[in-house]
Amino acid sequence: MRILVVEDEKKMADALCAGLEADQFQVSVARSGEEGFFLASTQSFDLIVLDLGLPGHDGLEILSGLRKQKAAVPVLVVTARDTVIDRVKGLDAGADDYLVKPFAFPELLARVRALIRRGSPATIAKLKLADLEMDSAARSVLRQGKEIALTAREFDLLEYLLRQQGRVVSREMLARDVWKETARYTPLDNVIDVHIAHLRRKLDEPFGKKLLHTVRGVGFVLREENS
Amino acid sequence: MPLWPQRVRGRLTLWYVGVLILILGAYLAGVSALLFWRMSDVLKRLGEEDLETVKGLLYFQPDGGVAVREDYHHHSDWKQVQERLLEILAPDGRILYRNERLGDRTIGGAPFDGEGVNGYSGRTAKMSDGTAIILISRVYVLQDRPILIRVGYRQDLIWDELKETLLVLLAALPLVLAGTAYAGYRMVGRALDPIGQMASRAEQINSERLNERLPESNPQDELGHLALVFNAMLSRIAQSFEQLRRFTADASHELRTPLAAIRSTGEVALQKKNSADEYRDTIGSMLEEVTRLTNIVENLLVLSRADSGQIKMNATDFPLADLVRETASLLEVLIEDKHIKFQLQGDQSIKVHADRLYLRHAIINVFHNAMKFTPVDGTITADIGRLDSARAELLLSDSGPGIAPEQAARIFERFYRANSATENGLRLDANGAGLGLAIAKWAVEANGGTISVASAAHGAAFSIKLIAA
Repeated sequence: MRILVVEDEKKMADALCAGLEADQFQVSVARSGEEGFFLASTQSFDLIVLDLGLPGHDGLEILSGLRKQKAAVPVLVVTARDTVIDRVKGLDAGADDYLVKPFAFPELLARVRALIRRGSPATIAKLKLADLEMDSAARSVLRQGKEIALTAREFDLLEYLLRQQGRVVSREMLARDVWKETARYTPLDNVIDVHIAHLRRKLDEPFGKKLLHTVRGVGFVLREENS
Repeated sequence: MPLWPQRVRGRLTLWYVGVLILILGAYLAGVSALLFWRMSDVLKRLGEEDLETVKGLLYFQPDGGVAVREDYHHHSDWKQVQERLLEILAPDGRILYRNERLGDRTIGGAPFDGEGVNGYSGRTAKMSDGTAIILISRVYVLQDRPILIRVGYRQDLIWDELKETLLVLLAALPLVLAGTAYAGYRMVGRALDPIGQMASRAEQINSERLNERLPESNPQDELGHLALVFNAMLSRIAQSFEQLRRFTADASHELRTPLAAIRSTGEVALQKKNSADEYRDTIGSMLEEVTRLTNIVENLLVLSRADSGQIKMNATDFPLADLVRETASLLEVLIEDKHIKFQLQGDQSIKVHADRLYLRHAIINVFHNAMKFTPVDGTITADIGRLDSARAELLLSDSGPGIAPEQAARIFERFYRANSATENGLRLDANGAGLGLAIAKWAVEANGGTISVASAAHGAAFSIKLIAA
């Protein structure tokens, strides 16, 4: 999978490059709008991560230019401008998704993956991680064959973590995808933390081996660690 | 130089003079008309007397003709009477006599039917040569012969006298006008003087010296009132400036705190060699501070957009109880964790008119604030009621330590976190940046409501008053 990152700020470009490469993507970086447009029109990419605040040509111009060439490549716009008007402008110009800086990196990864696999929404009802099994249709959770009783919210939370297993999930992602909140409030972070604590008490504590981990400063991840 | 003066003083003076000219003009016209009417009247009366005199001076000549001894000296002061025009006619209109002054002109032509028969008849008429006259006539029977005696006096002589009188009056006019203009100019100047003083004082007041005020000489008059209003506005501006200054200082301070933490954490970690886990911990700690920074910046953006009026409210009608229940269920885990008892009381059917999303944000913030300060096993009560037909109230009370009165007034201020709270254990928002209640206040007020601390005695109570649907 090849990704083109168009970002003029070196630190940001390096971080994006390193982060995406760590997630097994092949990354090309363009440090200006012209270079980005040139690369995008001459090579084939599976996704373009486009910063809007570029020197010279504005990111939106590059995007409209690309769309005029009928390039169907998905574009994820990354910007510090976050008013509704800016979003509408970006989406009108042909962006497939919109992410406001500063964003959590897991969030970027999640969006990138979602855009790349778009069109094939294969939702599997049965999810599994180590000795943990979930049937999302029957809404049942088993660990080591024993049923775990979860509240509705805890179940949704676990399902989300299980679908993203092995990947770090940020509080922003949980707020948006599990709690379906459009705006972010400080109180919600506390609510999420308490739910995670409850889930951990039911999921991990009786069984010894930890599956639900906190990645300090970033979020949470559900994975089997061999230590 | 423009004809119309630029300054109020000149304009007002011009108005004074203009109005005075109009009034004087009307006055003079009135006086002239009255004078003319009076003089004509007097002249007619004199003419009647004159007629009698003429009658007395009349004699028949041997040939049967009529003559008047006009050389007889009479003493009228009136020039008109001295310059009398005389005509004597037979009843059939035949002219019997004309005096020298009349010559061969005629006064009034043929007599009309019944002229002078029953007493004096007076009228204005035109002579054969077109001279306007006042004509008095009467029929006398002398030696059994009826004759009509007419005397006429030139009207332009009255006009001449009028003109003289008017000329005297008009000669005084420029003097009067000049006097009035000068007095008016001085008076307006005196009246406008305080405004000039106020303007020069106001000019000295700028953002650095907002504490200066205009003198309020006499609050009863218009200028005193103006100064009062101006001063009140200055106070409000000064207050806004002070708030802005404090807000900027507070915002920098709030942003500086996480920045300092990030910096020290990073610097300390780089001082010695650490294990991968230790580095991971350091980075994690730095990221936590970044999250804090991000939250502050996001909240500040919300408030700045709110301040500049960029956020539009999209109001709908919905039951307030639903929103409170929704909030409680969102925060349920936190409530249960502290074994807090939550009660929803009052009229659950009351609907409010507001933007649901922003009002929800406000209620979440207020609810969360209440929850944080409610001790384990405490209670939170939401009471919904109707104040009147137009307003509904949500009273959210908790069993926490309450709010000190001096804090109650400031609790909705931005970044306000009850400085003294650290000492007496009152409201302290340890994690938030002290913007939650400020945002709540904005959201409620943007929806036409008010938010206040209703009671601070036993626990705190927040009152949110909204527009009832």
